[in-house]
Amino acid sequence: MTPGKGAQGQGSPAALFQDWLPAAGRSTGQSLPWLAAQRVQARARVRELGVPSPKSEGWRYSSLSPLLEQGFRAVGEASGEAGSALDPGALQTLLIPELRSHRVVLVNGRFDAALSALGTLPRGVRIGGLRDSLARDPDALEGLLTSVAGDGSHVFTAINTASLDDGVVLLMERGALLEEPLEVIHVALPASADARGHELAPPVAHPRLLFSLGDGAQAEIIERYVGPGGGPSCTNAVVEIALGRGALLRHRRIQDEHADGFHLSGVYLSQGADSRYEGINIGLGGRWARTDLVMRFTGEHAECDLRGLYLAGDRQLLDYHLDVHHGLPHCASRENFKGILFGKGRAVFDGLVYVAPDAQKTDAAMSNRNLILSPNAEVDTKPQLEIYADDVKCSHGTTVGQIEPEMLFYLRSRGISAGLARRMLCLGFAGEIIDGLGPAALREHVTEQVGARLEQAPL
Amino acid sequence: MLSVKGLRANVGENEILTGLDLEVGPGEVHAIMGPNGSGKSTFAHVLSGREGYEVTSGSVQFDGHDLLELEPEERARLGLFLAFQYPVELPGVNNTYFLKAALNAIRKSRGESELDAVSFMRLMKERLKVLHLDDSLLKRPVNFGFSGGEKKRNEIFQMAMLEPRLAILDETDSGLDIDALRIVADGVNALRDPARSMIVVTHYQRLLDYIEPDHVHVLARGRIIRSGGKELALELEERGYGWIDEVAA
Amino acid sequence: MSASTADLPTSTPAATAASQYDAIVRSGYEHGFVTEIESDTLPPGLDEGVIRAISARKGEPAFMTDWRLAAYRKWLQMPTPAWASVHHPPIDYQAISYFSAPKKKDGPKSLDEVDPVLLETYRKLGIPIEEQKALAGVAVDAVFDSVSVATTFREKLAEVGVIFCSISEALQEHPELVRQYLGSVVPATDNYYAGLNSAVFTDGTFVYVPKHTRCPMELSTYFRINTANTGQFERTLIIAEEGSYVSYLEGCTAPQRDENQLHAAVVELIALEGAEIKYSTVQNWYPGDEHGRGGIYNFVTKRGDCRGARSKISWTQVETGSAITWKYPSCILRGDDSVGEFYSVAVTKGRQQADTGTKMIHLGKNTRSTIVSKGISAQHGQQSYRGLVRIAAKAEGARNHTQCDSLLIGDKCAANTFPYIEVKNPTAKMEHEATTSKISDDQLFYCRSRGLAEEDAVSMIVNGFCKEVFNELPMEFAVEAQKLLSISLEGAVG
Repeated sequence: MTPGKGAQGQGSPAALFQDWLPAAGRSTGQSLPWLAAQRVQARARVRELGVPSPKSEGWRYSSLSPLLEQGFRAVGEASGEAGSALDPGALQTLLIPELRSHRVVLVNGRFDAALSALGTLPRGVRIGGLRDSLARDPDALEGLLTSVAGDGSHVFTAINTASLDDGVVLLMERGALLEEPLEVIHVALPASADARGHELAPPVAHPRLLFSLGDGAQAEIIERYVGPGGGPSCTNAVVEIALGRGALLRHRRIQDEHADGFHLSGVYLSQGADSRYEGINIGLGGRWARTDLVMRFTGEHAECDLRGLYLAGDRQLLDYHLDVHHGLPHCASRENFKGILFGKGRAVFDGLVYVAPDAQKTDAAMSNRNLILSPNAEVDTKPQLEIYADDVKCSHGTTVGQIEPEMLFYLRSRGISAGLARRMLCLGFAGEIIDGLGPAALREHVTEQVGARLEQAPL
Repeated sequence: MLSVKGLRANVGENEILTGLDLEVGPGEVHAIMGPNGSGKSTFAHVLSGREGYEVTSGSVQFDGHDLLELEPEERARLGLFLAFQYPVELPGVNNTYFLKAALNAIRKSRGESELDAVSFMRLMKERLKVLHLDDSLLKRPVNFGFSGGEKKRNEIFQMAMLEPRLAILDETDSGLDIDALRIVADGVNALRDPARSMIVVTHYQRLLDYIEPDHVHVLARGRIIRSGGKELALELEERGYGWIDEVAA
Repeated sequence: MSASTADLPTSTPAATAASQYDAIVRSGYEHGFVTEIESDTLPPGLDEGVIRAISARKGEPAFMTDWRLAAYRKWLQMPTPAWASVHHPPIDYQAISYFSAPKKKDGPKSLDEVDPVLLETYRKLGIPIEEQKALAGVAVDAVFDSVSVATTFREKLAEVGVIFCSISEALQEHPELVRQYLGSVVPATDNYYAGLNSAVFTDGTFVYVPKHTRCPMELSTYFRINTANTGQFERTLIIAEEGSYVSYLEGCTAPQRDENQLHAAVVELIALEGAEIKYSTVQNWYPGDEHGRGGIYNFVTKRGDCRGARSKISWTQVETGSAITWKYPSCILRGDDSVGEFYSVAVTKGRQQADTGTKMIHLGKNTRSTIVSKGISAQHGQQSYRGLVRIAAKAEGARNHTQCDSLLIGDKCAANTFPYIEVKNPTAKMEHEATTSKISDDQLFYCRSRGLAEEDAVSMIVNGFCKEVFNELPMEFAVEAQKLLSISLEGAVG
């Protein structure tokens, strides 16, 4: 076992995160002044922000202790440059067989060209590893990379920026169309032993993803977070998305980390006029997972549709934070998250829809519904509206409840066992979100996974 | 009573009414028919003073008043009544309370005394009887959760209570099945009066089977292109609206 | 004067030795305070000497003095709350006089000296002339003898055993009841303003309803409007014994002026088994002028404890006044099958700010709570609903329904909704719905096309919007509240 760092919220906050950052000067793109400046600034930001206090509003329901206790260290430091490799056979078990895609594989945040299968890309579309892209054509990334996520107030985003080294880049020119989805598989591997057989500290990876869609471009992106398990691992991903005028992005994110997986992701979206973003976030695995979705409109008449489904069972904390900022008029957003809690599972939904004074004709509706199946599960939900414009249509709704006894009775009276009936009803509840997933192979895969999780649940 | 001359009106950039002329005398029932988009509802809304329409030229005289200069409530107090195509819901606002407030506002402007609760209830009962309506709608909030038919009946009931001099029925038949249509039409007929004029705006001839008009006008591209007696409605029913474009063009 | 360490109650272990020492040292010197002061008004400033003086002037039992001092020492260590969505300049607690004479000699001599705007509002509300005088702070002559009115009522209440008096009287006549219950729902350490109140409260209301007794009338502070000036730190304690019922009305619809800018009241309700307390508030303190100058800061802690099984506490509030309102009438649903309710209408216009809502803490089995909050913001009004629904692990079968609607009038106002929902029990069922909208042009036009003036139409729609809450108010209060709402929104449209 790796000795824990004993981080109980005591000690110097800056020092706590020191191990999360790579040694200065080791990252890629050192010769790029703009990038170096961003890193230095982010490092300062990490020091400034420190470890979030459990009393701060954004962290009141999600204790950081389990994460800090693991003593994670930045990947390069933890397992050596070459230490984390995944053999192709192991990858096969993590793939969805029927899913056709342009496949990118990141192993502990590193772009793995050998495992990736990009296929033939349509005209106007570039996909590649971040490190390679920075080496080949840094000008294409200047002004884009880090511009959407910005400086921000999120310390884990700042850590990611300070550690910025590798990841994935998708650049689409005006009008480009990606017919098959881009699939990004994030594989988190646990610590490996060093050459002398000493166990290393568990690794934290900081992959950075940049998806830029030019005016009118259309794409579908599937992100999957997986790992074979066998020890703690942590992924701290940041995804930056810039949508041009009229662009359309369907973004599916499946968090299915292993039982000792820790997960942090920050998704930052900037939407141009008339663009549409459809995001579906599925939270199935991991021990401790927090996702922040930060949405900004940069043009009018844009639409943002965020959906989510989380299943939290024993020893799991799944935490979703939505920050949807309507700063311009005539934009619409939908936030619809559903959760199923069982065992000792815990979930947090903290959604904010903010409507600025000039954002007239904003149309926003937020909904969070939860099924809580066991006496030891807990859900904390906080759907907030902050509205400073008057001509708006905004609403939110939250429910927490159990399976309706009448429904259960109806199924049982037709001869279905109580267990199966519960699972059927849960799947029905989840279906509203899952059904939005395309392509069919992915939808079936997720349905199976959800079914399997429910099967394990002591219903 | 009502005299519309050369009325032109825009919605945004588009000119919807393009020089509409109409004369309505006391006690007359006029039907205005026309295809979708011909400007029927716009005309009804301009008469009642709804925002969002810009009158660019022409005039509307109502009992010697320049109607276009008046606020919606002033028009209502002069005796203009619009039965809405889509009556809006007013959550929590009791129907009876609403009607009493409206009636007393109108009475007050006419220099009549306000009705107290007892006389108002008496009047309401009497009008319900005339229209063969029951009082179930009165206890609910205005139009709130009403079915389409209930909303239209409620409009006619308001008309009976407020006793307008000119009533405009804007597609009152839309969305009604034949039974509901008959109830509404019976109500309207019960309110016909030598001192009360009506403008019945409709797409279909069907309503005119029940409410017999004195005059029928065909509206196309924002103006009246033909006027006649009730037989014109039948002709429209047979020929459809297809021929109108040729005439209007 | 000085305090010896022996005076420090043992119930304040958290107070650090350093700060105790500090308090002891400070108490002797601040503002040259001396106990011999005969005047009815204490000089501005706050220290232990002031608190002892307040307690002494009121002839309180020793436990009360100790309790106040303990509260004060805790308060010194508390940070001011910074999380509510309200903004105001820092309050100088040393500039406040914590005890002043009940009768103001410098008030207006007659209605002629009272602000005509205020009188116009009284007239619209249909308030009799003598009551207008009372409300405006004019010295009241013999014609309006509220003391005798109150006495009549008190006799009637005494027949059934209901105690209804000021908290000062209760401390004299029923010290054991006060001692048992005071601070048992809102401890002095609860929050900054509750702490301050516990240390310095000057008066308030005490109600005790004996077992199986239905209080024969609505109790209202109105009846003692001139018998005691409860001042800015009001304390209310209501105890409903097993199987009893009481309905209490606080405040009145007429706008009230007060030279005290800071109001920090504490209200504690205790409902024992099968008891029901209905607490209605109409708050119409002076909101300040159109630039927000001079309004009341209303920082209130109200909490009810459904201590017994099948008990029920219902809060209904109509908040139209004050420059800043900060209040969250809450229910602790401890007893099985207990019920908590919160019905609220809050209006903010001009430069008013309101951060209000409720907390429903479900601890017992089959506890139920209902929250209906209607917020109306006009002009530059800022309003936040902040609510917590917590369903504890043992609260089997708990139910909550929350409906939280905001109506916006004009484009400079704001309406925020911050619900916190924490559920730890699978059999719980909670639903939260919230909407934000403006009065639609279609609704306004519909009303106007039926002959109603725009202002009447707005008032009608707003009253419709608030219907669910007004239905909870005692009848005559509801009628007044509707009128009040219409008057509050006059000139807010357009």
